[in-house]
Formats: sequence, structure tokens, C-alpha cells
Amino acid sequence: MYTRKNQRDLTRTEKRRLIDAILKLKRSGRYDDFVVMHREYYVMDTERRPRPAHMTSSFFPWHRQYLLEFEKALQRVDAGVSVPYWDWTQDNRPTSSLWAEDFLGGNGRSGDRRVTTGPFAYAAGNWSVGRGVTDEHYLTRNFGRPGSDPVSLPTKNDLARALKDPVYDTAPWNSVCTEGFRNRVEGWGIRGVRTVGLHNRVHQWVGGPMAGAASPEDPVFWLHHSFIDLLWDRWRKAHPKSAYRPGRKPASPGPDRDYVFGLDDAMPPWRVTPRKLLDHSKVYRYA
Amino acid sequence: MSPTPAKPGGTRIPSRRTVLRGAFTAAVVTGTAGALFPLLDRDPAATARPAPAPGPGAGSGSRATAEEFAEMYRGREIWGTATVVPAGAPADDRVAVAAEPVTEIRIDGRPLHVMRRADGTYLSDVRHYESYPTLLETARAAVDELGTARLAPPAAHHM
Ligand SMILES: [Cu+2]
Repeated sequence: MYTRKNQRDLTRTEKRRLIDAILKLKRSGRYDDFVVMHREYYVMDTERRPRPAHMTSSFFPWHRQYLLEFEKALQRVDAGVSVPYWDWTQDNRPTSSLWAEDFLGGNGRSGDRRVTTGPFAYAAGNWSVGRGVTDEHYLTRNFGRPGSDPVSLPTKNDLARALKDPVYDTAPWNSVCTEGFRNRVEGWGIRGVRTVGLHNRVHQWVGGPMAGAASPEDPVFWLHHSFIDLLWDRWRKAHPKSAYRPGRKPASPGPDRDYVFGLDDAMPPWRVTPRKLLDHSKVYRYA
Repeated sequence: MSPTPAKPGGTRIPSRRTVLRGAFTAAVVTGTAGALFPLLDRDPAATARPAPAPGPGAGSGSRATAEEFAEMYRGREIWGTATVVPAGAPADDRVAVAAEPVTEIRIDGRPLHVMRRADGTYLSDVRHYESYPTLLETARAAVDELGTARLAPPAAHHM
């Protein structure tokens, strides 16, 4: 049993150990395997194959296991580290300690948006990105996407609204569900209903790789998803009578249901069911 | 455990991804930078396809109107096309995904990987958490997100 802390409460030493473990994982090549994996399972809801990770009910459990695997890999490097969470309703400024020199480094500079501070700055020699999306190998960020179409981080009210929904997810279990906690948090924009929200919006706000198909290339990905994981806990606590949906596969599942993972459907690549992941209290807890 | 897993599912339908990549490769192999527009006429994938026509949408009544554009946007040459393959067309891998338009976007001649949501809107590898009703908006949004960066060359799209 270990604890995942709010990133703002980490000591200087805890930050350094986490960064060191991430850099070691990067050097070994294992980090990039996680980047590729996320890409591989990011299946669209127009594709005719199973979609475990996004635009789907198992968005929460798939990412829970994904984070656990990443954390396990980190802990093989340093048994004392865990993935902290970034509460972006609270630490919502570029001046937050999250983005300091001794932690994740800051925003990209103007012009090429290159991150030039902190351990993931290209010039430091320990971090390169760009596998498959862009030609650049330096990490970029573009906080708030200034310009014609800026984005702000979600607020406490935005979050409260999503947590209030007592239904976990609804048919057709994809990116266009207007009701249900899952898509409210995953945050797909739905024309005439709502704009890009919560989870997706944070990806957009950071910019650079975080806004694209290789989002785990920016290590803030893990802190963001640690918070998303915590939100699932908060929702379950707020709605103890509500269950993960969809439940059992009906005798004749419709096309919507075929590629979606119900409570007892084993998710690739780990063959773990959402049911197995509902309770993590024996593995880790949030502080 | 190795985080590089076997492919999920066992569907024999090639994903749109694969179809697109084939088309890109065909176009790019014969091309050189700056020869984008003449190149299109020689693109075998393009000539093999039926003329753009409206077709049935995927899922919940979404539209699948063919689209085509070529413009300079913020100093970048963007080009895109969406072609609907009518169901029942001659044997072709693309028929398997007949309800989906075949889409291509290029920025400065390099292919941008485009996907589609159930409501018919598009998203790209570059801006992956927000979608747009048209390919043109998708291409412009990708340019905005890229800033000064260029897309990776097509060879890097293997995955
Ligand atoms: Cu995410």
C-alpha cells in the first residue's frame, strides 16, 4: 500500500526522486513504450474494433490500470515513488510550483514553444519527443493556447457539475453521450450541448504533445490522469448506489455495445476487467 | 510485462488508419516538396476512387458530404479532401468502411493523420482532444497547434 499525494504537497526530495525515476525510465526506452501503447489503444468511436481507452465507458478503468503499470515501472527504478496528482482547479496558474525549475519545468517560450526550464528541457539532454507526430524533438507547451481560440483550465464548478451526475455512463457509450459522469469528465465537446470539458480541456490547455496523439510524451500526463483517477473515487463515494455501466453483455448486443467493455469484459492488453479495478484500496490511496 | 501488446480484436476489416496510410504512401513516394498539386493528379489512390459524392453518414444520421480545399493558412500550405465511397462499389478494401469518407489532409505536403468521431466531426493526431465539423477547420486547428513545428515525415507514421 502506498500513497499518491497532491503534487503541491511533495517535498523537494520527493520531487527529485520522481523526476530521477522518470528520466531513468526514459533512458531505458520503457517510457516510450508507454507512449506507443496509449496511442495504440486510443481507438475512435467510428472504428469497428474494440475501444478500451477513449470515447468509451472504460475510460476510467483502462487509465487506472495504465497508470498502475507506469507506476510499477517507476517503482522498479525507485520503490519509494508514486504518481502524484495535479488538481488543476486549484493549481491553475503557470506560476504553480508544478511548473517550477525543480519539478516539471514551465511553459514553452514564445516562437517555437520550446520548454527551456526544468528537467525535461531539450537542452538538458535527458528528454526528447516527437515519435510519429511532429518533426521536432524538443518538448513544447503552449499554456492556455493564446490567440484566436484560447482555452482555460476547468473550474471547481465545472467539476462539481460532472460529479453530480448519478449515472456512470449511458448508451451509446461513446464520445457523444450527453449524460453520464464518464463523458462529462472525459470531456468530448458536443455541438449545441457543451464545449470541450474537464479531461480533454486540460490536455488542450497544456498544448504541445499533451494536445496530440502522443500525449504521455509530456510527463504532466501522469499527474493529470492521477487526478482523473481520483475523480472516479470521488464520484463513487458521492453515489454509492450507482454502478459501473454497462453491466453484463445482453444476449444480443447491439453495434454500440460490441466494442465497449462492460463490467466483466477483460480489457486489453492486460486482460483485466473493470470490476477488478473498482477498488484500489489495497494497492494505493489518495492523500 | 511488455507494454507493447498484441492488437486487440480480430476484425478483418482494415482500419481507416491503414487505408489512409496506403494512400499517403502512394502519393508521397512519387512526390517532391513543392510539387503538391501536380502530384495529386498522379495519385493512384485518388484516381481509383469514385468522384466525390454525398453518401450515407456513419451512425446517428451524420452527414458525409465530400469536401476539398487547398489554401495557405498562417504561412502553411494546407490541403484536404474527403471522398465518400458509395456502398456496393466494386471490390475494394475501402468498401468495408463504406459509411466513412476517405479523408486526407496534408500540411506543407506532409500527411496529417485524421480520424472521425461518431457525430461525424474530425480530429487529428496533432489536436487529438477536440473535433471539428469540417476537414478545413481540422487542418487549420492542427496548424495552430503545431506553431512552428512541422509534421513528421510519413515514414514516422508507422506504429
Ligand atoms: Cu488524458
